Amino acid sequence: MWDSFYAIFKISLKAIFANKMRAALTSLGIVIGVSAVITMLAVGSGAQKSVTDSVARFGTNILFLRQPWDLDESISSPKDVTMDDVYAIRQVDGVAAAAPYITTSFDVKYSNTSVALSVLATDPDIFLTYDWPIESGREFTQREVDDYAQVIVLGASAAQTIFSDVDPLNKTVVLDNIPFKVVGVVKKTGQSGMGFDMDEGALIPYTTGKVKMNAGWNSSDRRALDRVVIKVADFNTIENTKVDIQNTVRNTHRIHPLGKDDFQLDDFASFIEQAKTMGKTMSLLLGAIGAVSLIVGGIGVMNIMLVSVTERTREIGIRMAIGATSWDIRMQFLVESVTLSCIGGLIGIVLGVIITMVVAANSSIPAELSISAVLLSVGFSAATGIFFGFYPAYKASKLTPIDALRYE
Amino acid sequence: MALIDTRDLYKIYTLGDVEVKALNGVSVSIEKGEFVAVMGPSGSGKSTFMNILGCLDKPTHGKYILDGIDVTATDLSQLAGVRNRKIGFVFQGFNLIKRTTAIENVELPMIYNHTPAHLRHEKAMEALKAVGLESRAQHLPNQLSGGQQQRVAIARSLVCDAPIIFADEPTGNLDTKMSIEVMELFTRLNKEMGKTIILITHEPDIAEYASRLIKFKDGEKISDEVK
Repeated sequence: MWDSFYAIFKISLKAIFANKMRAALTSLGIVIGVSAVITMLAVGSGAQKSVTDSVARFGTNILFLRQPWDLDESISSPKDVTMDDVYAIRQVDGVAAAAPYITTSFDVKYSNTSVALSVLATDPDIFLTYDWPIESGREFTQREVDDYAQVIVLGASAAQTIFSDVDPLNKTVVLDNIPFKVVGVVKKTGQSGMGFDMDEGALIPYTTGKVKMNAGWNSSDRRALDRVVIKVADFNTIENTKVDIQNTVRNTHRIHPLGKDDFQLDDFASFIEQAKTMGKTMSLLLGAIGAVSLIVGGIGVMNIMLVSVTERTREIGIRMAIGATSWDIRMQFLVESVTLSCIGGLIGIVLGVIITMVVAANSSIPAELSISAVLLSVGFSAATGIFFGFYPAYKASKLTPIDALRYE
Repeated sequence: MALIDTRDLYKIYTLGDVEVKALNGVSVSIEKGEFVAVMGPSGSGKSTFMNILGCLDKPTHGKYILDGIDVTATDLSQLAGVRNRKIGFVFQGFNLIKRTTAIENVELPMIYNHTPAHLRHEKAMEALKAVGLESRAQHLPNQLSGGQQQRVAIARSLVCDAPIIFADEPTGNLDTKMSIEVMELFTRLNKEMGKTIILITHEPDIAEYASRLIKFKDGEKISDEVK
């Protein structure tokens, strides 16, 4: 039995190699399809991972308080988020730290160098909310904040760009014509994408930024902040803490018990969920694009198998005359199409892995190979061979020996 | 009991409104070990008759018993096994499979009856020896002469030890010298191995090799004589 199956397999291989050019072109469809599926799925899951990673690095126990961008029009006199809110929130049970958050872009000048940096105006609590350890020098102090001190803490890459080999500590840089003394440099965090990119940024006291440089959005209230960053002590009780913060802010904003909130609290746990769902949708979409090309490749296999059956009608007749059953004939053509698809599939996997690695190494598109995507493609290409090979094989097996033998 | 026994075989084709009777009530009985030649002009029904005897086609009416098996009552799909075990075919156009060596062509019927690989090779070599082509085992069909190709086809018909060989115009594509070679081979298989041989031809010289001559005309058997 296995002897015979092996013999039929050899017959199929022979038929494939008898027409190398045709086999190569047919397989090419599958090669492209499979490598597309692998690459697309890798890009999809890579994007998904990079989004969730950057959110996760933010910390899932971080909350943002800010005025909504699409503020409800029924709120007559919305109040800005200010330091009053920061002070109040710091008193809430379960809050570990709360820091003001105002971002602006400034040209930072040192001797002949001028670099545009995003500058975060904040206070020392920022170091309690984010994981931004100091590499050299120090954080700025509450005292410096209170004194409107012109001090700056630089991100690792920013310091490197501005000072290259010079030690930045105690040097003076100029932002918006105001001199700042560099008091510290933050360790490289490697975080990019979402949120504030510390490596490429700088930190200054919010008082200095707000009053001396008019940073942040244009508001009638000179004390307005972009946001408040809040770190919750325990992620498990984040929902309760959120409610407490909400009540506290309603209180400082003097909102009527029946009035609507003029602020919003963003919670990143739900954002991660959203990002994951988005990532899945994207993976599915990209996978579908790959799958379409695989189906097109499969149709190519079917097409060539139909041609092959027609061309070899006489051969089928001979085989039937000497004792091949319909099953034998069906197997022969099915094995042929599955072999074609699998050869294409294997080359496609190699190509897909190479493309993915090249994409991941040479572009900002994150790509992550997954074993499941590879296995899926293998299964898919074999299934393509069976599915698209079935009809031609069935057609071959339905020939009657006498009609097949008479075929010219 | 006769090896081949047909009773009132009819084969009727319908071409539009016209009914064509390719076979019109043919009854023939052939014993084991006979060497029969079937002759007739084209369109006489001899090929249709052969196709039915060879289990490649089924009659419209009538009964055909092959070595005790009622072939007419057997499903066409199950006839593959009957063809494999009972019948060897030799065709006018040789019908070897291209790009496949002589020995692989001879092995083919045994693949379909699941003979183990080592036995397959052994028996194929034996059959090639019987037709005197053991030295050409690894040649491809297009590297062999017409006569050699036909001898490979004969080896293929022998390899499953089928009792019957159907030869449809086996010398039609061969020159005289090769024809004689092939016909002598058939005679030897008939005499020495006891094969029942049924030969279709339109050449009287070739029919001479047989010991019984059946003539067809217009779908009917018009004569049947033993020499």
